[in-house]
Amino acid sequence: MSAELYLEALETPRARGGRAPDVFSPTGWVPMREYPLDEPVDFAIVGTGAGGGTLAAKLAEAGFSVVAFDAGAWWRPLSEFASDEEHQQKLFWTDERVCSGDNPLVLGTNNSGKAVGGSTVHYAMVSLRFRPEWFRSRSLLGYGVDWPIDWQDMWHYYREVEQVLGISGPVRYPWGPKRPRYPYRQHELNASALALARACEAQGIDWTSTPLATLSAPRDQAPPCVYRGFCVTGCSTNAKQSVLNTWLPRALKGGAEVRDLAMVGRIETGPDGLASGVHYHRDGSWHFQRARHVVVAGYAIETPRLLLNSACPRYPDGLANSSGLVGKNLMVHSNQAAWGLVDDEIRWYKGPPSLAISEHWNYCDDNKDFFGGYAFMSQGPLPAAWAETQVGNRGLWGQALVDEMEKYNHQVGLKIVGETLPQERNRVSLADERDAYGLPIARVSYSFCDNDLRLINHAMRFLRGGLEGIDAREIWSETEGTAHLMGTARMGDDPRTSVVNADCRSWDIRNLWICDGSVFPTSGGVNPSLTIQAIACRTADRIGDMARRGEL
Amino acid sequence: MFSRTQLRALAAGVTTLLSLASLLWQRHERPGRGRLLHTHGREHVMLDAAHTLNRGAGLLAFSVAADSAMEHYRGDFQNRAMYTPLVTSVLSLVISGQGQQDPRAGNNPLRNAVYVGTIGTGLAGTAFHLYNIGKRPGRLSWSNLFYAAPVGAPSALVLSGVLGYFSERLRGETQDFIPRIFGLPVGQSVGLMAAAGLLGTALEAGLLHFRGAFQNPAMYIPVSAPPLAAGLLVATVAAGPAYGRLRWLSRLVLRFTAVMGLAGAGFHALGIARNHGGWRNWRQNLQAGPPLPAPPSFTGLAFAGLAAHTLLEDGRELAP
Ligand SMILES: Cc1cc2nc3c(=O)[nH]c(=O)nc-3n(C[C@H](O)[C@H](O)[C@H](O)COP(=O)(O)OP(=O)(O)OC[C@H]3O[C@@H](n4cnc5c(N)ncnc54)[C@H](O)[C@@H]3O)c2cc1C
Ligand code: SF4
Repeated sequence: MSAELYLEALETPRARGGRAPDVFSPTGWVPMREYPLDEPVDFAIVGTGAGGGTLAAKLAEAGFSVVAFDAGAWWRPLSEFASDEEHQQKLFWTDERVCSGDNPLVLGTNNSGKAVGGSTVHYAMVSLRFRPEWFRSRSLLGYGVDWPIDWQDMWHYYREVEQVLGISGPVRYPWGPKRPRYPYRQHELNASALALARACEAQGIDWTSTPLATLSAPRDQAPPCVYRGFCVTGCSTNAKQSVLNTWLPRALKGGAEVRDLAMVGRIETGPDGLASGVHYHRDGSWHFQRARHVVVAGYAIETPRLLLNSACPRYPDGLANSSGLVGKNLMVHSNQAAWGLVDDEIRWYKGPPSLAISEHWNYCDDNKDFFGGYAFMSQGPLPAAWAETQVGNRGLWGQALVDEMEKYNHQVGLKIVGETLPQERNRVSLADERDAYGLPIARVSYSFCDNDLRLINHAMRFLRGGLEGIDAREIWSETEGTAHLMGTARMGDDPRTSVVNADCRSWDIRNLWICDGSVFPTSGGVNPSLTIQAIACRTADRIGDMARRGEL
Repeated sequence: MFSRTQLRALAAGVTTLLSLASLLWQRHERPGRGRLLHTHGREHVMLDAAHTLNRGAGLLAFSVAADSAMEHYRGDFQNRAMYTPLVTSVLSLVISGQGQQDPRAGNNPLRNAVYVGTIGTGLAGTAFHLYNIGKRPGRLSWSNLFYAAPVGAPSALVLSGVLGYFSERLRGETQDFIPRIFGLPVGQSVGLMAAAGLLGTALEAGLLHFRGAFQNPAMYIPVSAPPLAAGLLVATVAAGPAYGRLRWLSRLVLRFTAVMGLAGAGFHALGIARNHGGWRNWRQNLQAGPPLPAPPSFTGLAFAGLAAHTLLEDGRELAP
């Protein structure tokens, strides 16, 4: 196949004519229902990632008519995902954005995707639950804000998502309340994960194998993981359980339509102040899909951007923005690492990158000089990513870089997913520049606060100690780096201090919903996708309940 | 490739077929056994049982040879000692084949030596695997039980040696009284040994099938039938000569276990097909998928159980 063939999905939309790509075959198709533009569907969903894709499946299965839009392409992993870091950039959202602040974010590879299936197509599959107390972090732990959802409610939905994704996890999880058994067993640890285990044992804290959304045994049409380690560039075997190969096939079976290469530019509101549908760009022109409800699920930058871009005379500050909070409280996870060299051969590229984890500092509150927590995981960057880390953080180039890369197979590393606090100054707003569709692009401003920096310092001291404990040499700290995006349309109990309620329904426009990482009031010290999907499942159930009671 | 409903149907279908096959086998064998007893005399009963034990020992040795070759190849034969089980199990396999063909009574020092060596290697292997686990972080954790050197695997070698050793003891016995091994009448001691082997092997299958999350309902068969067979066998041994129905049932479930061991290889072949690339990618998937040669161990042990039955029957004839 030529390189162009590998990129075919980017050229013209695939999901049309009553069929959509079959992700379980190299070239096949599955039937897809289609809806006319001029008759309102029950739900128009913008974005098909962790939030939108999950919701589309659940709503379609509940009998609603659903059309979901994604600006990205509909790939077939078996035939179109190359073992090539450079080529797989095709999965990232690399549209232009303006980044500012004390710690301007580097967007694209590490935090946002553009594909049917969203960022989960190239996520690292780490599937963690929030610590129960985090849902009431203001009341119980003294920082951030409380969530409007009870932890037990969330744990019920975590369970549902874990079952759907066939999470492979440890038999016993060392932290937090007892949890039901993961549907699949933990994976074999690679040498990189064993290094984390030894580092934790040296420091006297617990560790475990990471609950991952990749199979450790066959399941339906998907094979178990082959441990080749290309996960964050897109898994070419379907072992990875992403939205693309779990929720979306269900959505199609349930009767949903998914439109690929369809960029939504504006949500229309009618004279009654309610949302009436979405304008989207597909096949070179703009179209309008009428809808009774609109759900925005474009992730924490594109969601506020779309809401702000949909401003109209009735809502001059953008939709759902009477609180003025749309775009504010953008959160990331601090993603710092300690790296070192050991004598043993490690070959950390083998297997999913983060096979072992410690959540010790998420659950232990002793002797902390900061609020919040962090998890840390073993690492396995592929060669190009590792070279980039060297260039970006240490300025190595030429022979120095070549020499450093010689050590690749002996490298170990521990990286955190650290909680950051919500701050109003961290925000997404509109820039003057416009993108290819003529839409104002997002301006993203981000700065760590003192608490965030104290957390990072604590983590770096601890991780370096761990590496010293296993006699690693040439230890150095990567102090830049963030991952994941959250906030910008937070949920809450009060219309003045939040954008949506616990059901992800906007306070201002009752048929406008937001269901993705944007609704997080706080970020927690764990990767967000499981929580996003749990929220989407809960929202779908709530919508079903409300529909039955005539409250929609 | 296979939905869960299809897998459920497959498991139910195969269980039915296995039951039918074992019933047929049981019917077919029944009259023959009695005749054998009367026309050929005591010596032949012993020889017959010894041959069955050879067959069991050979099957177990075959399992170990194939399995350890594959697993230790995967481990790059990093340690020279990793060749040992391969060599010993092949020897045990060859000698078992020879023993099964050998019509002479009286034991053979070479066979005896190989079988004792096999037991020794198996025990050393278990110790070695345990030592390996002890070195890893997490020690005796699930992760190590699942993926480190398998504690249970070398025991199959021990069992192969023990079956062979017993077969040699039987050949030695020609006198007209009930021979004893380890202080117990021969039928009983072979029975208890087979039951223990079945239980241990079921335990290992249980561990590894748990690791595979019992994703295919058929994975429950080898963790339920062999323990049942073992239980019935122990009950038969304990109950003495009287309970004919119990003996009948015990033999039936042993036969089920024997056929299941062969069908298990088929299921493992299916498991391999469900790995990425399936059988086209056999070089990797023979290693990554479920071990093709493992399930026939059950067949080997079930044979030992059936041999115990022959001996127990014989004991009954002799009993005053
Ligand atoms: C490299 C990487 C590794 C990660 N690893 C993990 C991990 O191990 N564990 C974990 O929990 N999380 C991980 N994440 C984060 C996780 O993938 C995201 O948090 C999650 O997918 C976000 O879900 P979402 O629904 O909010 O947005 P997304 O999944 O990003 O989906 C948004 C979708 O909306 C589409 N879209 C946006 N705007 C528009 C528009 N206007 N019109 C049409 N479509 C639009 C986009 O194309 C995109 O497909 C990782 C992310 C990355 C990038
Ligand atoms: S290591 Fe496993 S999950 Fe990752 S890309 Fe390979 S098969 Fe997929």
